[in-house]
Amino acid sequence: MTQISRRDFLKLAREGFLYLSAALATGSLLRFLSYAPASEQKTEFDLGSVDNYPVGSRTSIPEIPALLIHAESGFTALSLTCTHLGCTLEPNNNGFACPCHNSAFDAEGNVTQGPAVKPLRSLRIQITDENTIIAYTD
Amino acid sequence: MRPSFFHHLHPPTIPTEQARWRHTLGAGGTAVFLMLILGMTGILEMFYYIPTPEEAALSVQTITYHVPFGGFIRNLHYWSAQLLLIVSAVHLLRVVFTAAYKSPRRFNYLLGLALFILAILLDFTGYILRWDVDICYPLLTGTNLLKTVPFIGDFLHRLAIGGGEACTNGLLRMYVWHIFGLTLPVIILGIWHAFRVRRDGGIAVPPPQVRTDNARISRNELVRREVLAMFIVGIALILLSIFVPAPIAAAMTEGTTLAGEAKAPWFFLWVQEMLKWGDPFIFGILLPLGILALIALIPYIFPKPADSDIGKWFPKSNRLAQITIGLVSFIVILLTLLANAN
Ligand code: HEM
Ligand code: FES
Repeated sequence: MTQISRRDFLKLAREGFLYLSAALATGSLLRFLSYAPASEQKTEFDLGSVDNYPVGSRTSIPEIPALLIHAESGFTALSLTCTHLGCTLEPNNNGFACPCHNSAFDAEGNVTQGPAVKPLRSLRIQITDENTIIAYTD
Repeated sequence: MRPSFFHHLHPPTIPTEQARWRHTLGAGGTAVFLMLILGMTGILEMFYYIPTPEEAALSVQTITYHVPFGGFIRNLHYWSAQLLLIVSAVHLLRVVFTAAYKSPRRFNYLLGLALFILAILLDFTGYILRWDVDICYPLLTGTNLLKTVPFIGDFLHRLAIGGGEACTNGLLRMYVWHIFGLTLPVIILGIWHAFRVRRDGGIAVPPPQVRTDNARISRNELVRREVLAMFIVGIALILLSIFVPAPIAAAMTEGTTLAGEAKAPWFFLWVQEMLKWGDPFIFGILLPLGILALIALIPYIFPKPADSDIGKWFPKSNRLAQITIGLVSFIVILLTLLANAN
């Protein structure tokens, strides 16, 4: 091993110390800025009595946003949030269209035109003992 | 007398060619002027603007409709911001078309490019501050786009809006980025950029041996021309601000996002158009970053312009750079028009 002089050693130590401090400070700053407080987002929506939604009805629930479908086989809820980048879909004759980048979905939520690739999400639904419908977005 | 920063930027005399309108188009200087207006009007807006989701849009309405001269101040801020982007783009084109980026000015070219990016981000965050129904989709899609970045997507998303959902959360972050997090770097890089111009030998012109015009103008003449440019731009700004109000829409309340504007602000329309093509990460992030990288690399990997060509319009020796930047501008404008048409 080659000898290094005291001066070189001090220089190395000084610079190492400086760069290390800078790296630590930057890392801490980024972590400081990336804290996410616990979400206060509502995930549970009370949609009222089952009687409001007769068999065959398709009801838009803008506050979720979702479409509550009452078929012969029971209730389902289709999320109306576009799976591309999150705009709210607008219903039309063939299904749903996205105003942001022209994605389209059929009435069952399958993609009929990109850029979206994933089908629409189905929301979890619960019918309580009092016959009210609750939809969950999580 | 000890030379001040003003004297550093205004030496006793400079070559006449460096101060010709047809040489610089006055674009860089105009950008400085617009930034000063933005700083002053922005600080005035801060006296009334309230960065909370409940009150932001209402406070912008207060500024616009109730505060004496508030609408005028807000319009000045808005129009300076839009003009700044156009003027910066013109400045960038001028630098490439006159081969002014050649070493020793390579580094300053990068500083300028960074300033341009920061100005775009400032315009976007400023637009978000309106917090009316029209800002929701652009904020939502923009921040969801950050999430698509592999590995660090969620981190970037939190950095931008502090977690939670866009449109209900994120205003405070956007505000602090706008008035501080982006503005401070602009001030530092802006001063550095101006300092480097003189350090690198002033505005790029052909070297003295091949220069045909060796006349020089005095400091007074230079300042006279600068004041004239500020005067003209100032009048244009005032007229715009009197006759064309900045956009404003109804405040966001729960469930009103459906009524919002689905179009991105004008300077991001070209990205919105590309997003229609497929995978958001590729078309919304990689492709724009790739274009940016290409522009940044012009002074480094493109054929070097001849020394005698520096400071001339459209010299042969940097054709490739001219064609590249010309094509990029053409495509961006085309995409913008396409997105605007539908
Ligand atoms: C290069 C610099 C800047 C750009 C490009 C810019 C851009 C913008 C834009 C486009 C808006 C939205 C205006 C509207 O639509 O009404 C805005 C709003 C605002 N800006 Fe700036 N800005 C800049 C600097 C500043 C500075 C330095 C401050 C304060 C120190 C500031 C404070 C504000 C405030 C408080 C608002 C909200 C009020 C409103 O929306 O009218 N800005 N900015
Ligand atoms: S968000 Fe629906 S297509 Fe992009």
